Amino acid sequence: MASATVQDAGTSPARQAHWSVRLAEFLDAHAGRPPRDKTARLAWARAFHADLEEAHLAAPGWPAEAGGMGLDLGDQIAYHQQMTAARAPRHPCGLSFIVAPTLIRHGTPEQKERYLRPLLRADEFWCQGFSEPGAGSDLTSLTTRAERVGDAYVVNGQKLWTTMAHLADWMFALIRTGPAGPGGAGISYLLISMKSEGITVRPLKDISGGTHFSEVYFDDVRVPVGNLVGEEGGGWAIARTSLGHERATAFLSDEFRYRRVVSELHRLAKTSGAADDPVVRQDLARIEASVRVLASNSRRALDAVLEGRDPGPAASVNRLVRAEFDQRLHEVALRVVGPDAVLGQREPTAPEGGRWTYGYLMSRSSTIGAGTAEIQRNTIAEKVLGLPSWRKEA
Amino acid sequence: MSAVSDRNDEHDELRKVVRAFLEHASPSSEVRRLAETDEGYDPEVWRRLADELGLVGLIVPERFGGAGAGAAELAVVMAEMGRTLLCAPYLSSAVLAPAALLESGDETACAEFLPDIADGSVIATLAVAEGNSDIRDLDAVWTTARADGDRHLLFGTKERVTDGYAAGLLLTVARTEKGLSLFAVDPEAVERRPLPALDPTRKLARVHFDRTPARLIGAEGAAEGAVARVLDLGAVALAAEQAGGAERCLELSVEYAKTREQFGRPIGAFQAIKHKCAELLYEVESAKAAAQDAARLWSAAAAASEQGLAASVARAYCSETYVHAAAETIQIHGGIGYTWEHDAHLYLRRAKSSALLLGSTSWHLERVAADIGLVPTA
Ligand SMILES: Cc1cc2nc3c(=O)[nH]c(=O)nc-3n(C[C@H](O)[C@H](O)[C@H](O)COP(=O)(O)OP(=O)(O)OC[C@H]3O[C@@H](n4cnc5c(N)ncnc54)[C@H](O)[C@@H]3O)c2cc1C
Repeated sequence: MASATVQDAGTSPARQAHWSVRLAEFLDAHAGRPPRDKTARLAWARAFHADLEEAHLAAPGWPAEAGGMGLDLGDQIAYHQQMTAARAPRHPCGLSFIVAPTLIRHGTPEQKERYLRPLLRADEFWCQGFSEPGAGSDLTSLTTRAERVGDAYVVNGQKLWTTMAHLADWMFALIRTGPAGPGGAGISYLLISMKSEGITVRPLKDISGGTHFSEVYFDDVRVPVGNLVGEEGGGWAIARTSLGHERATAFLSDEFRYRRVVSELHRLAKTSGAADDPVVRQDLARIEASVRVLASNSRRALDAVLEGRDPGPAASVNRLVRAEFDQRLHEVALRVVGPDAVLGQREPTAPEGGRWTYGYLMSRSSTIGAGTAEIQRNTIAEKVLGLPSWRKEA
Repeated sequence: MSAVSDRNDEHDELRKVVRAFLEHASPSSEVRRLAETDEGYDPEVWRRLADELGLVGLIVPERFGGAGAGAAELAVVMAEMGRTLLCAPYLSSAVLAPAALLESGDETACAEFLPDIADGSVIATLAVAEGNSDIRDLDAVWTTARADGDRHLLFGTKERVTDGYAAGLLLTVARTEKGLSLFAVDPEAVERRPLPALDPTRKLARVHFDRTPARLIGAEGAAEGAVARVLDLGAVALAAEQAGGAERCLELSVEYAKTREQFGRPIGAFQAIKHKCAELLYEVESAKAAAQDAARLWSAAAAASEQGLAASVARAYCSETYVHAAAETIQIHGGIGYTWEHDAHLYLRRAKSSALLLGSTSWHLERVAADIGLVPTA
């Protein structure tokens, strides 16, 4: 990768150039097609993000102290647009950006120093250890526990559905360190090395037949007390930092992606003749309308944020809107593909490599992972509309 | 960026003023009273909308006595009117008719008619649809215009003309040898009849032309594109009205869900109800965003193709949202929602009727499909 010029720029006056000029140069120097092979593609994306960090062009929204660019929201949007236009590879570990804001906000100086840079560079991957067999939507009922022994926590129990666990170097986990109580009492936020003795990762096949998540077993796993984030027993509140963070810019990359995917679907519809079917044509028009409404929604929320106003309900509903859109999009896509949508990805004649059929299966997770659609509706109804709690005791 | 925020502040201000006015001027009792009349509006409220608030001439340029505002402001006003189901010829006389005159490019006609329209003294409307055809299907316009000296004579029947019975000025489209053309007609010279309608809060009429004298507006044969633009602007305005109505439905539902108790708890605690409300919130917020965005594009004088597409996106989305919101409002209210006394049915009537006027959802979706290049190959 021809990154030498950019790295040199780091020590020359060009360093002071406007970030967008530097980013344009960087993207020019790193232009190229992603390798076809999966392993090579991962290595390629990692190298890209390591170089990006080296050039001080990573993490546009993070404060400079944390190794970010400290850009304001308007510039962050421009940054994401520039990256998308150049088809820059996405960071290979999206989960890292769930733990990062938590560390920036609640981590000790040592923790920030130790974890943030390798995370940005994609040198180290993270996984999220929240869900358990008995604790899904009702996360505060989790039972994987840790006992304090000397200067370490000793962890026993099991996590489930842990995405990327088989590739991750670290897990940010919610672990019980005290008795359960209201408001998620007794839960602590721990950073656990996946290389620790006593950890067993058992990959699970998901709906697509691929392996994206795992079961993770803990058998007397020792975690240094220095790996506690925040107060012992204060983990539940801390975990919510990352939820709040999703609000503004995170939607942008989704939006650019949906725009692209919908346009690709149009292209397929034009060449396959699917648009001749008036029902399919109207479905496609509805999808087009939806992707535009999605954009209007974000623009409205972003305008508000940019002007320092409360983005209001629009921001809270965005995630649910997207999740359901993703599913509708893929339902329509299979009608566009036609009868050959029954073919699997390994069948060489499957239209467009079977991507739509695969996407259709994958899209079922968008209303489950990261909080089910039902839980999101509960939250919207109670937090935004002020309806009474569904819990009997309330 | 500060331009944007100034504009938003102005819109907030406008919204507040209109809301305060309509809370007084258009309570449910008034809506129900006017729904029973043939004219379907209160002249005093109309006068105040024109004189005190300057809203009747909102989109009329200042040189013709209006406020010279754009679609963005229009959307704010329409949303408020939609919330209270205001009974007034606003869509007809403050949107469609003035837009038709302006699009015609006929300066003389604009100078003659627009000031009276803008100050509220003349109520005008635009009559396009015929038979049982969609208003957007201009090929279905059969009304003919025959030259007769320096005027024309019209023959034909227009259907579902909004405020066609109350109007003092009727704009309409008819065919001449040169194609679709715009005409002005004195309603006293036509046979017109108020139509009993699904939505009694927006008046519809049938207008019959038989050797009716008419004045050509703009160039002969030039109305096709102009009328399509007018109906697009109408679609943007109506989408905003629909989003406003849907928002009000959600409010009614949430208020009720918090207070009505069954099984010892407010019904809003039950997820079946709570989830309906959450669903409506996301649809309503999306509808508002779509309508505002379309209006923004019209105000910003974006490319005509972009404007048309945005109008159709907003209309398709807001039509479905409003009907859904109104129907769920009835469901959430249970038996009381099904009564004549409750306002829920007025919203459902307005919602369904609006979805069918000014271009059906199918028509708008076909337009979206065509604009993105999805057309039948054969
Ligand atoms: C692709 C994928 C990746 C994931 N990755 C991770 C990860 O990396 N780390 C991690 O910790 N977790 C991960 N998860 C787990 C995910 O967070 C949980 O699946 C999710 O929170 C739901 O929990 P559950 O599966 O136990 O379902 P349950 O909570 O048992 O829910 C089952 C059904 O009951 C409904 N339900 C439950 N409670 C209520 C209620 N109060 N009101 C109404 N309906 C209710 C749910 O909506 C759902 O329809 C992943 C899941 C998926 C699908």
